[in-house]
Amino acid sequence: MVLEQLAGNLVQGVVLGSVYGMATMGLSLIFGVLRVVNVGHGAFMMVGAFIALWFFNFLGINPVIAILAAFVIGMGLGFLFYYTAMSRLIKAPELATLLATFAMGVLLQEIVKLIFGSEFRGYNWAVGKISLGITVLPNTKLLACVGSGVIAILLYLWVNKTRAGSAMRSVVEDSEGARVCGVNVGGVYALSFALGIGLTVASGVLLTMFIPVGINPYMGGGYTLKAFVIAVLGGLASPYGAFFGGLVFGIIENGSYTLFALMEGVEPFALTRFLSFVILLAILLIRPTGLLGGK
Amino acid sequence: MKKQIRKYSPLIPVYAAYLFLFLIGRNLPGMWQLVAMLLFYCALGQAFNIFLGMTGYVDFGYVAFMGVGTYGMALAITRLANVEGLATAIIVIGFVLALFMSTMLSIAVGAVALRLRGAYFAIATIGVNEGFRFLIEGAKIWNGSEGIIFTAQLNQILGREAASALSIFWADVMVLVLAALAAFVTLFYMRSKIGYALTALREDEDAAKVMGINVTKYKIIAFITSACFAGLLGASSWALKTPYVFPPEVFEIHYTIEAIIIVLLGGAGTLLGPVAGGLIYGISKYYLSVFLPGIQLLIFAPIIIVIIVLFPEGVVGMLKSRLKDSTLARFLI
Repeated sequence: MVLEQLAGNLVQGVVLGSVYGMATMGLSLIFGVLRVVNVGHGAFMMVGAFIALWFFNFLGINPVIAILAAFVIGMGLGFLFYYTAMSRLIKAPELATLLATFAMGVLLQEIVKLIFGSEFRGYNWAVGKISLGITVLPNTKLLACVGSGVIAILLYLWVNKTRAGSAMRSVVEDSEGARVCGVNVGGVYALSFALGIGLTVASGVLLTMFIPVGINPYMGGGYTLKAFVIAVLGGLASPYGAFFGGLVFGIIENGSYTLFALMEGVEPFALTRFLSFVILLAILLIRPTGLLGGK
Repeated sequence: MKKQIRKYSPLIPVYAAYLFLFLIGRNLPGMWQLVAMLLFYCALGQAFNIFLGMTGYVDFGYVAFMGVGTYGMALAITRLANVEGLATAIIVIGFVLALFMSTMLSIAVGAVALRLRGAYFAIATIGVNEGFRFLIEGAKIWNGSEGIIFTAQLNQILGREAASALSIFWADVMVLVLAALAAFVTLFYMRSKIGYALTALREDEDAAKVMGINVTKYKIIAFITSACFAGLLGASSWALKTPYVFPPEVFEIHYTIEAIIIVLLGGAGTLLGPVAGGLIYGISKYYLSVFLPGIQLLIFAPIIIVIIVLFPEGVVGMLKSRLKDSTLARFLI
């Protein structure tokens, strides 16, 4: 009985984990190219969640289209933040970029709060569910999982098969060398930052399929921490590492929840969150290049 | 002797500002509440500056030390309330416990996080407050998510009148003492080997290491000192002022942000900076919450970005470079 429940939860973990992974690819992309940690990461996901909510409840538009819209809006936000602040801070000490991205996150939270208020909201998009024997999976979650996989593959193709992608790889390899070879390094930074933010905002739409009534201006904080754990699992600078890190994290989170729920006198949900913090510290200490060795 | 006095002359403007604040609060009716808030922000900035200002490392989990300090005081009061003959000694024990708990937590966190640098350090610390909060809630330590309310015990120990005087006056005086002490420690560090080592580390950690400076040792000293002040601040400004403690409140990352804003506004790594930052931040927050309630953060977030981009040195940093050659410069560091 317990084993069956555990197996079912692990399947759910993989599905959720794929979305976690996709949600972290933007963070890793930005760190990989610009060496900037986006501390406001969760707030950008929150913006995506509100885009999904707004499209569905007010415009009656399907969340699948909202993914595209969120990606475009996110790219716009990314370019805006890059050219107003980040471009001047690339050479500054880390303190400056950490605080700038943090402040961007707070700014977004407060703007969304001003528009939508701070109560929890949600939308109900029911398109049936599918039974896998050990567990029941709503089609929306399945769709989010497939969507994450497709986006991850598209990013892979873009980075490896296009001119812009190879310019980006050359900057990661050696930004001075790339500059000498005629690559517009500033442009690559701007595009990578915008792409990273676009992916993050789009992931917020996918996330809403898992939190029926959990959309709130301050929902991002928890996801920032999770994204750091996942990014560190994957080696911090590698978007694909982040995707697999997400799968691993989803499995750990759901698996440990099932086990903690068996213990007496504890709150399993809170302990799961504590565990993710412990994993973060352990990985940073033991294997800072990530489980996949930064590949 | 004269040299010694000269060495500590930068403390004069800091202490003058604190004295001025105290006198305003005592003598102008209705001002004490604002003054108490300003003192809290100055103390918070001064304590946070010891680590962030001197090392350039951002500790996003700083509020966790204030949180455990608050728990230290709360535990001392609730567990010892029924012991006969302790009376006010319980408050002293509370401070000792707060100091002990914040030191232990800072050693535990520092042992892991201080091995990491820059971005990795920030990532490691960003979860400390959340992690500790979820440990308390998840494992139901110290009453778990229900928190501890100890108004009754505090009244029982000190009597109703003394307890109320403590919460509306003496707790704030304690904050003032902590602010003054933190300023002294900051200057002491700046003027000693620790300060020079930390400056070298902030400018170029690898070069400092090659020069034979034990960077880890000095980072740990600054980290623990800063955390101790946070613990005592939590015990006095939170536990004694409002006799309850709830995990989501005392581990709220909001207070870390406030500390960062204050230090940056005033000028990281300067002695007078946190005072200037604390006053500017506190006064503007107070009046914004009166005239434009609920949107302080909406206004402060773009301000942080502007400061980082345009004035990375902060108010005092700018003054310092303006007044470089005048006699006033001696009082500004």
